[in-house]
Amino acid sequence: MIPPGHIDYRCDGPLATLTLDNPQVDNRIDAAMAEELRDACGTICQDDSVRLVVITGKGISFSVGRTDLADCQGPAGGLDSVLKHQAAASLAELPVPVLAAVNGDALDQGLELALAADLRIAAADARFGFDGLGQGPIPWDGGTQRLPRLIGPSWALDMILTGRMIDANLALEIGLVNCVVPADKLLNETRKLAEKVLAGAPIAARYAKEAVQKGMDLPLDQGLRLEADLNILLHSTSDRAEGLQAFREKRDAKFSGR
Amino acid sequence: MPGFTTLKYSKDGPVAHISLNRPQALNAYNIQMRDDFAGALEAVQEDPDVRSLLITGRGRAFCAGADLTEFGRAPSQTIARQVRWERDVWGQMLRLTKPVVAAVHGYCIGSGVEIALLCDLRIAAEETIFALPEVHLGMIPAAGGTQTLPRSVGRSPALHLLLTGRRLDAMEALSLRLLTRVVPQDVLLEEGLSLARQLAELDSEFSASAKDCIRRGTDLPLAQALDLESRSAARALA
Repeated sequence: MIPPGHIDYRCDGPLATLTLDNPQVDNRIDAAMAEELRDACGTICQDDSVRLVVITGKGISFSVGRTDLADCQGPAGGLDSVLKHQAAASLAELPVPVLAAVNGDALDQGLELALAADLRIAAADARFGFDGLGQGPIPWDGGTQRLPRLIGPSWALDMILTGRMIDANLALEIGLVNCVVPADKLLNETRKLAEKVLAGAPIAARYAKEAVQKGMDLPLDQGLRLEADLNILLHSTSDRAEGLQAFREKRDAKFSGR
Repeated sequence: MPGFTTLKYSKDGPVAHISLNRPQALNAYNIQMRDDFAGALEAVQEDPDVRSLLITGRGRAFCAGADLTEFGRAPSQTIARQVRWERDVWGQMLRLTKPVVAAVHGYCIGSGVEIALLCDLRIAAEETIFALPEVHLGMIPAAGGTQTLPRSVGRSPALHLLLTGRRLDAMEALSLRLLTRVVPQDVLLEEGLSLARQLAELDSEFSASAKDCIRRGTDLPLAQALDLESRSAARALA
């Protein structure tokens, strides 16, 4: 466990929950929070018992705003400062599925963090957007790359160039989130979705994530190779045998993660 | 006309029609079907009279998945890996230069979804149910689904389906772009055939290069993809 700060990290069996916990500033990510998030993700990477990560925000916002890097140029210059403030990559690099429970506004770097999750479930009153280039430089925590890969270049450019705010229903329509639920049901619906994911075989779930996320950056023929190799590795797991056995016996499988 | 055990292969003018034909097993994909598919796809590609292909399923389902009693029993992982590439029917399907239509109905589960995703156009009957239950069975899709699905619907919706194994109906499949058309069940075959006939009328070199440009081009940096398009168009015009 990491010392108390602005990331609340809790494990409940196979489910790790990361809560952005600085509601006074709408959970705006600063360098300290980014570092805490990197540390927490590092811990999760080392912990085989974690099978799903949920990231959410405390208070009314998911995370809003970004640090003005013009105010904190270090001696090593701009890139150093950008890298120090980035948080999304540590989430994106987790080997297990990551679910963002977007409890309120996800704006600027907060949106970039949500984009680094595999799945997004949003409260109906959540909004999504960037400040717009009128206000500062381009997004620097993955937004220019992950957003168009998720919703296509036109919507991404509209959001990044104009600072247009997207409400939850439009976000659902354009594929920015996977589902929208009433705000007071978010916790419950997140738990239900988590349970569905956790009912799958742990190694297969990791490999499904790897096959999709890595494979989408490969030409199709190489992606197919990756899928086949991961599948053949799965042949060696006892969970695969259990899955087949359970299917034949028409019961739910009991997976052990081996 | 080649005879197959698990598939019905027929020709209707320039349209070849492969119908999955294990209705008693909801057309579960088994080793015999894999081998039959290899033969049928070869016939489609080699037969100069065939200009398009329609794939459907007989009975209550298009295909309810892989026959799990048969797969995953290779004596070793090295042999499993070798067999995967010696009997690469999915690669064979992707390499078909002729346009392919899938017209699915009933249950379209696991391998059924994957077979459809390897086709160029997918239409479905209104009552069709789709799902990818592999992860909940301790595996991942093995017929290209982890690659073809996100290329059709995007990474996040693909992971949503793969990680939860949830079912979706034809209308949701349409809105996710897993399909491009949904029709009433009683006209599915007719619609599939008419689409395949329409594709059969195309200049075969044009349709082959359109398929190739779109499939390969979407994985390339834009400048290279545009170059691929220019060269393909120039070759077709020559």
